[in-house]
Amino acid sequence: MFTTRRGLLVGAAVLAAAGCTREPAKIITSDADLTAALRTARSLAQGAEALGFSDIAEDHLTHAATLERLLRPASIGEEATEAPADVAALAEAEAAGSREAADACLATDSDYAVLLGEIAAARAAHAAVLA
Amino acid sequence: MTAVDTGLAAEYAAIYAYGAAAVHLDGDPRAMAEALESEHRSRRDALLDFYDEHGREAAPAAPGYDIEPIQDAAGAQELLLTVEQQVTAAWRAGVAATDPNEREICLRMYADSAVSLARWRLAIGRPVADPWPGRPA
Repeated sequence: MFTTRRGLLVGAAVLAAAGCTREPAKIITSDADLTAALRTARSLAQGAEALGFSDIAEDHLTHAATLERLLRPASIGEEATEAPADVAALAEAEAAGSREAADACLATDSDYAVLLGEIAAARAAHAAVLA
Repeated sequence: MTAVDTGLAAEYAAIYAYGAAAVHLDGDPRAMAEALESEHRSRRDALLDFYDEHGREAAPAAPGYDIEPIQDAAGAQELLLTVEQQVTAAWRAGVAATDPNEREICLRMYADSAVSLARWRLAIGRPVADPWPGRPA
């Protein structure tokens, strides 16, 4: 088909322009909103558990398990975080986590708006009962 | 009927239910019921402002709502728990709205209603933790 070097180059350019070349493999990138929500959920779970609020920690672990499942096959490593100093600090961390998830809920065009909204609402409720 | 219409209807019904139930309560649950009724009225007012700002017509409250007869404080507590769960569920559904203004107000109302639900659970000695407020069982 391409008997000359010029012919080969032209043919390659035509095929590429027509989208006939093989797409390079894409690295699967995780959803940034879900990744942020997962990191915060883990951090809040550690903080709540450290202060003895096991039921609240369990809520965050439930969020984390759901987010980990949605992010597969990506795997987000665990990070050690500093525990809040007291209940007021935990309440503030919950409120900040709620704002983070709410902002993501409003900005996302994915199917995860309700999930992010649920996480924001749960964290807001935690903040209110801790305050 | 939009998600905001559904949420407004739920707030109207909640205000009615608190009016009927609070008189059966005493002590801390009574004080909390009065505080939460006031919050529902504030949310209703904010919603009516939202309708005005967006040139929409808000439906009025119904003259009455069909609630079970309340016999005692326990019945009043259960009714208000059901009401808070239903209001939270109504706003949760609205978060799926694709219109940015609708999603924003539904999310704000949803977070506020999840807080009300948690405070009422705490007031009547029920477990507060709930990872998915308002999600259908």
